[in-house]
Amino acid sequence: MSLSDLDLAALVRPDSVHKRVYTDPEIFALEMERIYGQAWIYVGHESQVPQVGDYCTARIGDQHVILVRDTDGGVHVLYNRCAHKGAKLVAADEGNVGKSFRCPYHAWTYRLDGSHLGAPLKNGFAGTCFDPADPAFSLRPLARVSAYRGFVFASQAADGPDLATFLGGAVTSLDNFCDRSPLGKVEVAGGVFRVLQRSNWKVFYENLHDTMHARVTHESSVAAAREEAKALGGMPFELHIMDGNGEPYEFWEKLELRAYDNGHGYMEGIFNPGAAERDPLARAHFATLEAAYGAERAREILGMNRHNTILYGSGSPHTVFQQFRVIRPLAVDRTLVEIQVFRLKGAPEGVFRRALLYANIINSPGSNVMPDDVEVYARCQEGNGTDGGDWISLHRYLGTDREVPGGMVSTNGTSELPMRNQFKAWRRYMAGEAAAGRGLHVA
Amino acid sequence: MLLDLDFDVGTRDLRPAGLSAEAERQVERFLFAEARLLDERRFEAWLALWTEDGMYWMPRRPQQESPYDHISLFWDDAMLRRVRVRRLDHPRNWSQQPPTRAVRLVGNVTIDGLDDGGNLVVSSVLQVTEWRRELRHLAARVTHKLAGVAAGGWQIRLKRVDLVQCDAVLDNLEVYL
Ligand code: FES
Ligand SMILES: [Fe+2]
Repeated sequence: MSLSDLDLAALVRPDSVHKRVYTDPEIFALEMERIYGQAWIYVGHESQVPQVGDYCTARIGDQHVILVRDTDGGVHVLYNRCAHKGAKLVAADEGNVGKSFRCPYHAWTYRLDGSHLGAPLKNGFAGTCFDPADPAFSLRPLARVSAYRGFVFASQAADGPDLATFLGGAVTSLDNFCDRSPLGKVEVAGGVFRVLQRSNWKVFYENLHDTMHARVTHESSVAAAREEAKALGGMPFELHIMDGNGEPYEFWEKLELRAYDNGHGYMEGIFNPGAAERDPLARAHFATLEAAYGAERAREILGMNRHNTILYGSGSPHTVFQQFRVIRPLAVDRTLVEIQVFRLKGAPEGVFRRALLYANIINSPGSNVMPDDVEVYARCQEGNGTDGGDWISLHRYLGTDREVPGGMVSTNGTSELPMRNQFKAWRRYMAGEAAAGRGLHVA
Repeated sequence: MLLDLDFDVGTRDLRPAGLSAEAERQVERFLFAEARLLDERRFEAWLALWTEDGMYWMPRRPQQESPYDHISLFWDDAMLRRVRVRRLDHPRNWSQQPPTRAVRLVGNVTIDGLDDGGNLVVSSVLQVTEWRRELRHLAARVTHKLAGVAAGGWQIRLKRVDLVQCDAVLDNLEVYL
């Protein structure tokens, strides 16, 4: 059965969404065209390709792409396909190709911007339409590439808003991420976790601002951390970050959820300046920022205490613990999450080690915390495969969210505003004027 | 903080251990017994095999040199080992319902030597067949550092588990291997 735009629009109601959006492979294929074929999607960070010829690979929706550093210092994002017979050009997650790409099949070569460099035994092309200057014989770049403070995004559509406009109010999280470095610069460092979720990609986006799940889903790790802290007579950082999920409902109700156009948003935490002053590492970090920006600005930077930020289609940067959970849909019921850890350049090394420790404890496949998340996502996928019901409820605090420029803000931190906002964007991508699909690739 | 420790994870530049055949056999039996405690989920007994300062390490990368400048799949001290066991025993540990069942095959046990701290460094190969909803096969090179106990026998000071698929896309790894 083929889906019309009207069918798709009917799957999203103001207060609920049809389970088919999580389970239907045909809808997944359309998402690859209409969302991932159109939106600005995070490819990688410039620091992943510091030297000429450095590359790393990524998935933009269902497309394999290469991020590569050119001789002039710029970066390009190219489809990972040789222009001859289509062989995947590079196979590793990262590496260096030297001054040009060379296909392992028949040795066609390409410059680092993807343009055709050569093919063996040129005489064989004499008298044919083969033309090195014709883009058909070069690697195809993605329609648009743009970086924001080192974070490289690409769009497969030739037209659309520029990156900063697209990110809207959520862009302030990328600013704060970088501002936490006294040099204003961050770099990917210390490795990347890759975790498989047996669930639809949208489930994870919804969970990122699902404040109602924390103390329920994570009861076992919260209890384990608390029992251990009691036995020890203290709560070290390692246990503290597990314990946080166990905050009472009143804590979560006080948080503020921001929702911006295109499905983005962030969660504003409650900043406790006392805690920062007691912590010697936070004090040392503050001192480096104070020296760079002055005390007032340093307080402003560290005082922006955000939890998960959502860049819909790309993933979730976390400013306080310097990581980017990149969300890559693999299939209607399979999602890959890549957790990149960052170093704040010029900040005390302890800040980086704390980011590593946070990633080890919260984001590793060996975490005590994340497995329960991944489990409930998989259960949603399985439950929605039954005929036990058709709609997913998004009713909580509907009608109470307030408008702010470019978006909405919750009046209660347990509002399902973020989910409603994501599906508002989803509906516009999938069935609205934006449903035209991937733009034409104009070379 | 766990990444501010000064813990020797090195397993090179070893001195010959000069163990008797009988002592080697004891070491081997110690590893078999350890694996069996994990197979049977007798976690409390397993925790008792460790020195108080012992570290369980599962690197994220092949040949990873250090847990201090890079993420690890596991880097657990005694506190985190107890936390993990508390969680595995908790009635609302959703991702362990049903629980992971596994058998471990320990082989190719080799005494590598003694490190600077006098710990016995033992290398082995671990094959794990695991069942939770589906069958999974994990394999690793394991390096133990064992501390001799005055009364005889051994305690674990380091268990380094180098999974062959350490840098792959991974499902949850909740139970110690
Ligand atoms: S497929 Fe690449 S050169 Fe033939
Ligand atoms: Fe969670």
